[in-house]
Amino acid sequence: MGKIRLATDWLDACAGCHMSLLDIDDRILTLLEHVELTATPITDLKHPPEEGVEVGILTGAVSNTHQIEAAKEMRERCQILIAMGDCAVFGGICTMRNFFPKEELLRRGYVETESTDNPEGIIPSEGVGLLTDRAMAVDEVVPVDVYLPGCPPSADAIWFVVTELLAGRKPVLSGEVLKYE
Amino acid sequence: MTTVNITINGQKITAQAGQTVLQAARAAGVDIPTLCEHPALSAWGGCRMCLVEIAKQATLQPACTFPVSEGMEVWTDSEKVIKTRQFVLELIFSERNHYCMYCQMSGDCELQDLAYRYQLDHWTYNRTYEPRLLDATRKYFVYEPNRCILCRRCVRACSEIAANHTLGLKFRGSNSMIIADHDVPFGESTCVECGTCLQVCPTGALIDTRSAYRYRGKHDVERVNSTCMQCSVGCAISAVTHDNHVIRVEGTWHEGPSGGLLCVAGRFEPLYDARARITSPLVRQDGQLKPAAWEDALKTIAGKLKGGKALGVAVSNTTDEALKAFADLLAKAGGTAGRLEPALPVLDGVKPARVSDVAEADLVIVAGTDPLAHHRVVGYFAKRAFDRGARIVVIDDNENGLNAYAYLVCSTAQAGEAIALAKNAEKPVVIYGPELNDALKKALLSLRDSAAFLGLEPGPNARGAAAAGLAPAAPTPANVVYLLAGEASDDTAAELSAYVDGGFTVVQASRQSPLLDKADIVLPAPIWAEQSGHVTTLEGASAAVRPAVAMPAGVRGEAEVLKALAEML
Repeated sequence: MGKIRLATDWLDACAGCHMSLLDIDDRILTLLEHVELTATPITDLKHPPEEGVEVGILTGAVSNTHQIEAAKEMRERCQILIAMGDCAVFGGICTMRNFFPKEELLRRGYVETESTDNPEGIIPSEGVGLLTDRAMAVDEVVPVDVYLPGCPPSADAIWFVVTELLAGRKPVLSGEVLKYE
Repeated sequence: MTTVNITINGQKITAQAGQTVLQAARAAGVDIPTLCEHPALSAWGGCRMCLVEIAKQATLQPACTFPVSEGMEVWTDSEKVIKTRQFVLELIFSERNHYCMYCQMSGDCELQDLAYRYQLDHWTYNRTYEPRLLDATRKYFVYEPNRCILCRRCVRACSEIAANHTLGLKFRGSNSMIIADHDVPFGESTCVECGTCLQVCPTGALIDTRSAYRYRGKHDVERVNSTCMQCSVGCAISAVTHDNHVIRVEGTWHEGPSGGLLCVAGRFEPLYDARARITSPLVRQDGQLKPAAWEDALKTIAGKLKGGKALGVAVSNTTDEALKAFADLLAKAGGTAGRLEPALPVLDGVKPARVSDVAEADLVIVAGTDPLAHHRVVGYFAKRAFDRGARIVVIDDNENGLNAYAYLVCSTAQAGEAIALAKNAEKPVVIYGPELNDALKKALLSLRDSAAFLGLEPGPNARGAAAAGLAPAAPTPANVVYLLAGEASDDTAAELSAYVDGGFTVVQASRQSPLLDKADIVLPAPIWAEQSGHVTTLEGASAAVRPAVAMPAGVRGEAEVLKALAEML
């Protein structure tokens, strides 16, 4: 049997989950014996292969129209979709913006911040993802198969999920690998 | 007690009549998860975590309120119960902003613990993201409604334990909000910042401003059981520490005179004392206090004490052992020693009351003292009695904190009315203080056959001081004045200045204060969290004080220093 193909992406994210993934350190050599990395922020390919992959990991919340498209594409092209990290699983820190109207957020970010020089008060909309009304967990946009909470999940937790999947089992989290922070 | 035979998870259990399913289960070693339940509070049954299957009941029932009955069959871990618990947790999580990654309670949160236990790894129900404003108008702790699970532990604690009744609720269902009084900012409310609600809150909804984000994990902190040294009640406390720092102070449930209730003076204020510590002996040279070696400082003091005519005055805020060593030292030096605080009037032949008796009384007389000023927990217990229908009678010529709860407020001259009421009571308790004139004392003594008496000693360890032979001291001319000040506030330290005579002055104190300006030699002393020994509470009980943290380098225990000085005489 060939290698399992893996695609990952980061949406409204801090990249901490991918850093934690890299914290598996030398276990990555074992990983690469069984897994082929396709599109990931690390390999810097922008879209998962059209023919699809076995496993996809999404980190970060869904917060703008581009991210909705990215989540849908990942769902379409990945047989098993993992939501990794509190943002992808629950919405996480990104949801702090959900308490404010979109317009206020955009004004604050693009016009009012002290270091911004934008006297005409232009809020970009061409070529950028448009903010959704709320930052959302991935499963508010597409169905998710496996959830891995954590902020970020530890390298051990990530390794647990990966090895369970490679062994053909659905990972069931408990104890040290189930954390919400 | 009649026994009731029930079955839990197929196992035959002998329960007691009047028990709830939860109580019976716990007694039999069966664990049922709870959230709104708490050992020091009445049962409420609102969080629904303790739902169990009971034969012949149409739906699952809350174990914490459901009474046992003969032949009852209970299942606490069936598939239906487990699924229901996960569902209840999902509903609780869906109501508010329960994100662990930025919550100061993470690692010590009962809601989080249950989510881990029932292996919640995602949420099924969307949240509404209703903004709810924080209330940070109090000094010592903040209310964060976004983390509240509406368990009402705080409301019950405020009513049942503190008897303050500040907390209530507004709105309904998931819109409910905990409020103070008629929905005023907490800092403007009747809240007394006793912190009982803070301690019972299972989540991060109440945030201790000082200790937030400073070690919450169960394995990150240590707990030392000790006794509060801020007043003579001597509540049982648990000092929570990490790496030689006191993180916070908690009350120990069902222990000590107050059973876990503390007050702002014991829970919060000591941790906010920002006065600099004295960490080395100081000797005055050329008008300035300069650091000196212990041996040199002690030698100088011993030399002065040997010269005779020494007066020692202690603030009763230290251990029995230190006070005894102080009395012994001055005696050996042929001087006199006493304490700062006035004495309670001696009431011969009266039956002593315990603090808990105050809550059980049907009539409470308060004479010559204002409990809510300096012995707050006793005042709170009087309010518990009030809640049970007891009459409070205040005999005071000034404003008294309990006036609002008093059936009768009278002046010392009208004390006869109060006594008459007490004569008709079944379980009267008299709370008295130093301000009793002879007439009032005589009037109160007429109740000696029926009432129990609780004297509110003015100093935290005045009983220990009295036992050491330290009576209230009058300023007298002396060649050497030795002031055992300990952790005294600046105001108390100022009172000690009255004893300074212009001769040689020694001050043994924990912190910088204006009193040091009068000292020729200053010796460092420990603070409450570093003390080791015993205090004698106003109930007359000996209570252990255990060190929660080590003394800073350069500081020595008072008893050790005083004994060393005695050896040198």
